[in-house]
Amino acid sequence: MSASNLPERNNEGFLEYATDWSSDVASVIAAEEDVSLSDNHWEIIEFLRKFYNKHEMSPPSNRLFVKAVKDALGEEKGNSIYLMQLFPGTPAKTACKIAGLPRPTNCL
Amino acid sequence: MTSNSTLHILNKAPEHPRYQACINALAPSDTLVLIENGVLSAAGNQLHAPCTLYALKADIDARALEAACENLNTIDYDELVQLTATHPKIISW
Amino acid sequence: MSTLIVIDQAPYGFWTGREALDMAFSLAAFDQPAAMLFTGAGVNWLRKGQRPDGVGQKSAEKNLSAAPLFGIEALIADEHACQQYGLTESTMLPGVELVSNIRDVLGDHKHVVFAG
Repeated sequence: MSASNLPERNNEGFLEYATDWSSDVASVIAAEEDVSLSDNHWEIIEFLRKFYNKHEMSPPSNRLFVKAVKDALGEEKGNSIYLMQLFPGTPAKTACKIAGLPRPTNCL
Repeated sequence: MTSNSTLHILNKAPEHPRYQACINALAPSDTLVLIENGVLSAAGNQLHAPCTLYALKADIDARALEAACENLNTIDYDELVQLTATHPKIISW
Repeated sequence: MSTLIVIDQAPYGFWTGREALDMAFSLAAFDQPAAMLFTGAGVNWLRKGQRPDGVGQKSAEKNLSAAPLFGIEALIADEHACQQYGLTESTMLPGVELVSNIRDVLGDHKHVVFAG
């Protein structure tokens, strides 16, 4: 898969339909964000996919993304510095984009 | 179905003023179809319709009202279209 | 003193309830205390087992289940409205607080906002 045959996306690069996501899609979007996916990335991506299945929404802000990761995976993973190192920029936005989730509503 | 039978399509919850207006307008030969929030009238035994009654399955499923609606005849979107095609008069409340 | 978001309209038929939920989550996102009160047809948000695929919407139940996780302080329901719509503890989302007089709840909050 390459950028040219990705599923439909919005003008900010988020998938229109979360169900279109696959690990190949994640790798292509990650490359666009200059992120090379490691096991630590996949752990967060898998967390977000499960979160979406359960709640049918993205964590609505970066702060609540960090909180949700902390609740699920503990303090070591659920902190801003760790998540920012994995997903540069606004971690919630970058991670949701790679995981095929909608754009978090309160991220600027 | 008689030639003067009216199809009433009700999408309002029981507390909406138009809900009671619809119920008051029903004649025994009419048909009432509950759609959208109209299906909520089946919850808590609030529904008393003096005519043929159907409810739209997709709206029952969305609101988790399967148990409350088990004695209702349910229809899908295609059957709703059929009803609109076979009734000479339709009121969308 | 927190903000109380009141939902008095049923899910799926209108967008106003979902906008109110967004408002509650936005408050939580900026660390502002918020609680939600369900009254009238709004109590139908709380019914377990919603499957809205057929109407092409996201599940109000699943969205709402994220509320405690995001720090929404309380989900409160009007007991009378629950009775009217045949909702019991076993058919409702867990963790909902029932009140017999919503006037007390309205009085407990500095800001009260209705959906729609």
